[in-house]
Amino acid sequence: MSHHAYQPKGPRFEAEADYVVVGSGAGGAMAAVTLARAGQQVAIVEAGPWREPKDYPSSAYGALRDLFDEYGTTVTMGRALWPVVQARVVGGTTVINSAIAVRTPSDVFDRWQREFDIPRAELADSVWRHEDRVERELCVEEVPAGSLGRSNELALLGGKRLEYENHVMRRYTKHCDGSGQCLQGCKAGKKQSTNLNYVPETLSRGGHVLSSAPVERVVFEGTRAIGVLGHFVDPLHRKRGAEFFVRAKKGVVIAASATHSPALLQRSGLRHPALGKFFRAHPGTGVFGVYDQPVDMNIGATQGWASIHYRDSPGLKLETLAIPPEMVAGRLSGGGHTLMARVKEFRHLAMWVCAVRAESHGTVKNGFGNRPSVRYTLDRADMEKLRTGLHLVAKTHFAAGAKRVIPGIQGLPYDLGPDQLHVLENAPLDPRAYVAILSHLFGGCVMGKDERTSVCDPNGRVHGYQGLLVADASVIPSNLGVNPQHTIMGLAGHFMERQVA
Amino acid sequence: MVAIFPGGSGLPGIVECDLDGFLDRFFQEAALALKLGLVAGAVLYQLSPLLTVGLPVPAFLLSEAQRERHLNRLLSHPIYLLRQACFLLKTVAGLCWGSHPSVRALYALPPYPPDPGSCRST
Repeated sequence: MSHHAYQPKGPRFEAEADYVVVGSGAGGAMAAVTLARAGQQVAIVEAGPWREPKDYPSSAYGALRDLFDEYGTTVTMGRALWPVVQARVVGGTTVINSAIAVRTPSDVFDRWQREFDIPRAELADSVWRHEDRVERELCVEEVPAGSLGRSNELALLGGKRLEYENHVMRRYTKHCDGSGQCLQGCKAGKKQSTNLNYVPETLSRGGHVLSSAPVERVVFEGTRAIGVLGHFVDPLHRKRGAEFFVRAKKGVVIAASATHSPALLQRSGLRHPALGKFFRAHPGTGVFGVYDQPVDMNIGATQGWASIHYRDSPGLKLETLAIPPEMVAGRLSGGGHTLMARVKEFRHLAMWVCAVRAESHGTVKNGFGNRPSVRYTLDRADMEKLRTGLHLVAKTHFAAGAKRVIPGIQGLPYDLGPDQLHVLENAPLDPRAYVAILSHLFGGCVMGKDERTSVCDPNGRVHGYQGLLVADASVIPSNLGVNPQHTIMGLAGHFMERQVA
Repeated sequence: MVAIFPGGSGLPGIVECDLDGFLDRFFQEAALALKLGLVAGAVLYQLSPLLTVGLPVPAFLLSEAQRERHLNRLLSHPIYLLRQACFLLKTVAGLCWGSHPSVRALYALPPYPPDPGSCRST
C-alpha cells in the first residue's frame, strides 16, 4: 500500500492496479472502497492534495486556496455568472460540504424508469441498501440539540409556526460540536468526509493513492480503457511535476465530478452524442433575517435545519447556511460607509437559503487549460421557483421573529419589513439580479439504456467501451430535489458491486 | 478596497486589517483567473467615474463623498458585467477584512488560527 504525493519533474511515475478510480469524493471513495472490499487492488488518482483535519484552513480565503477547485473560480457561462462550488482535495466535496445525508426519494427512481428506461426495482433496492451501509459506517446522526446554534433553532421555530414540514438535518458526523466550520473542512474531525474513512481504508487494503495528480486523459487500447495519464501538480505553487501513468488491469472508474468527468472523457477522445449534455443543478441563494437579539450564526452547525415540504411543488429545498463574516461582508450590498453600517449588524443576521429543483439543463465542455466550461441558465419557470423560495425563506424569518429581511436582489430595496413581503413576489426573473451559487451538480455523463441519449448504462458502464465506468454525480440523469451525496454513494456502491459480481 | 471598507460605525477599516500583507499573499498564491479579475475590477473602479458620477477623472481624484457615490453606483450598475467586476473586488476585499482578528473580536468570534497550507507528503 502506498500514498504518492506531488513529485517534481523527473522520471515518469508508473503504477498498476486492478482498477484505477479517478477522484476521491463521494463517488470515487465509495467506488474504491467497494472494490477494495471485494478483493480488488485499487489506485485512487486525485487531482488535489491530501489534507488531514490538522491541515485544514480556518479562514474562507484559506478554504478557497487549499480546498476549492481553482479558488472557486469556475462559473456558469450563461445569462448570469454563478459560481460552481466544488473541492479539489482528497475527499473531494465531502470535505467542504455540510455532510447532509438524505436518502434517495422513491419518486426519483420512478422518474428514471419512466424517462430513461432504468429498471427501478433492482436499482432502488440496491441503492437504498448501500445507503443503509453508509449511514452505519459514517455514523449519520441528527445534529445534536446542543450543537444546533441559534440560527438553526430560529428556523425550527419559524417552520413550526408556519406549520410546514421541517426538521433537524441528519448528517455524516460523529458528535458534531457545532464549530460552524463545515465549509472550511471540519478541523475537529467530526465530519465524516471520505478522506477520513473510505480513502484510508482503500489504502490499508493494499491500494494506492496518488494525490495532487490531475488526470489529463484516459488511455485506451482500441475501445478498452487501460489506464490514466497526467502530471503531478505542486499543491502550493501549481507547478507541473513528473508525468504519471497508472495502468488498470480491469477497469478505469471516472468519478471526478459532474463537471470534470465529462470534460475528462471529452479530452480522452470520446465522441458520444450525450457526453457533456444534461448538466443540471440545484441553484441556491439566500435571504438574511435581521433579529433583535444576536444570532451569532457561526456558532452552531453550519447547516442544521431543512425543509422538503416544497420539494414536489413548486420544487424547492429550504435550509439554513451559516457563512463567516468575510463572506457576509461581500454578500451585503453596497460599499463604503453604507456597507460599514450594514456589516455592523453581523451578529444579528441569520442566513437561510432555498435550493431550486431546477429542470433547466446545460452543457459541460472541456475548456482552456483542461478546465470544464459550463453553460447553464435557469429558464423562466425555474426563476419563478427561485423567487417563490426566497419569499418562503423571508416569510419563515418573519415567523421566527425577524424584524427585517435582506434579500440581496438587484433592483429591490436593501431590506424589507414584514409588511413588504409582497415586494419579493414581484422580484425580477432575470438571473443577473441574483447572487446565487450552484452547489448540487448532476449530469454530463448520464446513465440510461439508449446510447443516443445516455453515456453510461444503468450499471455505470460507458456505452461502446470496455473497462470504462463512471461513478459520480455526472451519471444522475435528473435533479433529485435533495442533497445528492447519499445518492452518489449509493449509486457508486451499486455499480461497483455489479462490476465485481 | 480602501473605499469599500473605509472603517466606521465602530469597525476598523481594511487598511488596519493588514491589507498589504493580504495582497502580497493573494498575488503570490491565487489562481490566475482570480488575479486577473481583481486587477480588472480595480482598473474599472478607477476609470469609470464618468459612467457613475459624470466626472471624467480617475476615482482616486474624487472627494470621499463622490468616491462613495461612485462605488455604490458601480456596485448596483444596470450593466451586469460592470457590477460583477466590482463585486469580485468587494468579495476579495471582504476576505481580507472579515477574517482579521480585530473584526472577528467585535463579532464575538475567536481569531482564526493560521491557515497552515500543509498536506500529506507521504
